[in-house]
Amino acid sequence: MIGSLPSFDRLVAELSKLPGIGGKTATRLAFHLLRASREDSQALAEAVLEMRQKVRFCSNCFHVTEADPCTICTDPARDETRICIVQEPQDLLAIERSHAFRGRYHVLHGVLSPLDGIGPDDLKIAPLLNRLKREPVEEILLATNFTVEGEATALYLSGLVKPLGVRLTRLAHGIPTGSDLEYIDAATVQQAVDSRREY
Amino acid sequence: MAQLSSGAALILRHIDYGEADRIVTFLTPEQGLMKGFARAARKSRKRFGASLEPFSRVNLSWSEGRGALCSLRDAELIDARTALRADLRCFALACYGVELTEIVLHDASSQPEIYLLLNAYLDHLVTATDTETARLLFEVRLVQLLGYIPHLLHCSDCFGPLGTDLVVFDVSRGGSLCDLCSGGHPPLRVQAGTLGSLARSLRTPVDRFAGFRFGETTLSEGRHLIDSVLALTLSHQPKSLDLIDKIRLPPGP
Repeated sequence: MIGSLPSFDRLVAELSKLPGIGGKTATRLAFHLLRASREDSQALAEAVLEMRQKVRFCSNCFHVTEADPCTICTDPARDETRICIVQEPQDLLAIERSHAFRGRYHVLHGVLSPLDGIGPDDLKIAPLLNRLKREPVEEILLATNFTVEGEATALYLSGLVKPLGVRLTRLAHGIPTGSDLEYIDAATVQQAVDSRREY
Repeated sequence: MAQLSSGAALILRHIDYGEADRIVTFLTPEQGLMKGFARAARKSRKRFGASLEPFSRVNLSWSEGRGALCSLRDAELIDARTALRADLRCFALACYGVELTEIVLHDASSQPEIYLLLNAYLDHLVTATDTETARLLFEVRLVQLLGYIPHLLHCSDCFGPLGTDLVVFDVSRGGSLCDLCSGGHPPLRVQAGTLGSLARSLRTPVDRFAGFRFGETTLSEGRHLIDSVLALTLSHQPKSLDLIDKIRLPPGP
């Protein structure tokens, strides 16, 4: 902290709140902004404000959007009978990058994490069940992460969705494309063997 | 160069830190509860893979880090206990066991018996059919290992014999009370048989879960009894109890 520069200190304090940014990195970023042109700093400040003003969550799928409902929910080319459930908006973007899924999405905004006190009521599960009542959904693709919490969340959702007669699928998991078997960890190899298929 | 340590460990939990790092809480038999920094654990599958997932039994290597966190070097997965992910109730009870252990252990000191107990509890949950017995057994043994077990088979006031039917139990006065010492309004009455069952279970090895099955009365009265002990012992209520309670309810929108 530079006591004689309260505005500089304020910026460092605000930058330090960002994930993965400690005091040193925040100070380095602040000095970078100090050396940058006034226009660049202004553009950054305006971009942050504009993003906060315009971006919100879609009231249907809870993905980030500037228009509500989002462009995915309103795209007529999308298969409305399929919904892919993901943990976070970033996971949705990862699936979109693959171009492998052309249905719609539902973002849970987290996973069940009993150790952190996160239960079903803290996730966007109730809105999902409402969607299943009003949309012609035939398949749910569970795409939560393959962590302990992600798997437990998928299990919890399967208990809610199965009785509704909707087809339930789960992302496959195993050996990543382009990798050597000898470098894969034992748990992944075990899952790949368990999930083997006819060839 | 920092001295390298290694040994068996149970992964209790992890939190993501920064871009791709993780802070991992783990239990070792010799050094007790520890926290370690796993650099790039979310990005690199080579050093840690799936080894840092909760409930995993691993061989860990670590060196002294900065502050209270050690620096995790690598992990060899022994048992991921993936079956715990296939049953929501077992998952919730495993979370509870891990959280309870974390709450009662505050520092890095040798805890070989608690390590044995938690390891056996998690192993047992993978195949357990009677999860309520497993939970009660785990709680009672943990409380005993910590030295907080109340008097069960004799009066905690006068050390005299108890009645043969219903026994007054008041954890704030040390446990069971005889008719003469109880007086006033007893907070809890339990069958002498329940106290006997719990006391007998404490005479068995801490890592033995198979073959135990408490009756309905023991489970119900034992639950009240151990809940009152834990309420007095724990600094705060485990968060994982919420999920355990929720999944008892029928699922619905």
